[in-house]
Amino acid sequence: MSDVLARAEPIPTAPWVGRDVTIRLAPPAARFSLRARKAADVQDALGREVTGKIGTTINGIACLGPEEWLWRAPEGTATPANARIAITDIGHRHVGLIVEGPRAVSVLSAGCPLDLATFEVGRATRTVFETVEIIIEREAPDRFHVEVWRSLSVWLWMVLTTTAGD
Amino acid sequence: MILIHCPYCDEKRPEIEFVYGGEAHIARPADPATMNDAAWERYLFIRNNPRGRHHERWRHSHGCGRFFNAVRDTVTDRFETTYKAGEPRR
Ligand SMILES: [Zn+2]
Repeated sequence: MSDVLARAEPIPTAPWVGRDVTIRLAPPAARFSLRARKAADVQDALGREVTGKIGTTINGIACLGPEEWLWRAPEGTATPANARIAITDIGHRHVGLIVEGPRAVSVLSAGCPLDLATFEVGRATRTVFETVEIIIEREAPDRFHVEVWRSLSVWLWMVLTTTAGD
Repeated sequence: MILIHCPYCDEKRPEIEFVYGGEAHIARPADPATMNDAAWERYLFIRNNPRGRHHERWRHSHGCGRFFNAVRDTVTDRFETTYKAGEPRR
């Protein structure tokens, strides 16, 4: 395995700061897609509490659907060995965008059809922004984390910053 | 915007997250090799296409990813109910 000499990000690494909202690239992270019959199986495999309620997240592990979880772990986390669940490293497939500030809901609502005003802290779900699939998580009342496929992040960055600048 | 209740997410979600999957409760024949062309045509192409209550499949593709069944009125476009795949026809 070779060491990473330089990381080339698809979008600017400097935060975009606008009126009452900041949009920035989330720090690099490990990401794993987890598939198992039950939340208890994932819990056993990872040795940490895992939610079985679809659309919610605990310990950085979001339950996206029946038998499907997304685990966002610190950069460098190794794929758990000998786990009796299906684990796929998708760390390089997504990038994360953080949309933060009093206008976060309003900026995201420009393209996301969910009612984000009532989307509670601790919720996480797959959805869309216009035509692009995203996974959105509300980390705090005024902070959302948006996962998007790397190649689509350029477009999403452009739309979010344009919207926020209006 | 139409809101559709996903029985897996257990909440109403925007229509744009879903894709339509055709008429529900059509079982794939167990042994297609024994079927004649007319029977195979019926399985592949012939649908009820009712005016009113229609049992149909939907997939929450930009959500939980699961297929489920729905009863929708083809005149009013109203969803009467949705239920998990594998459950009996409502
Ligand atoms: Zn769903």
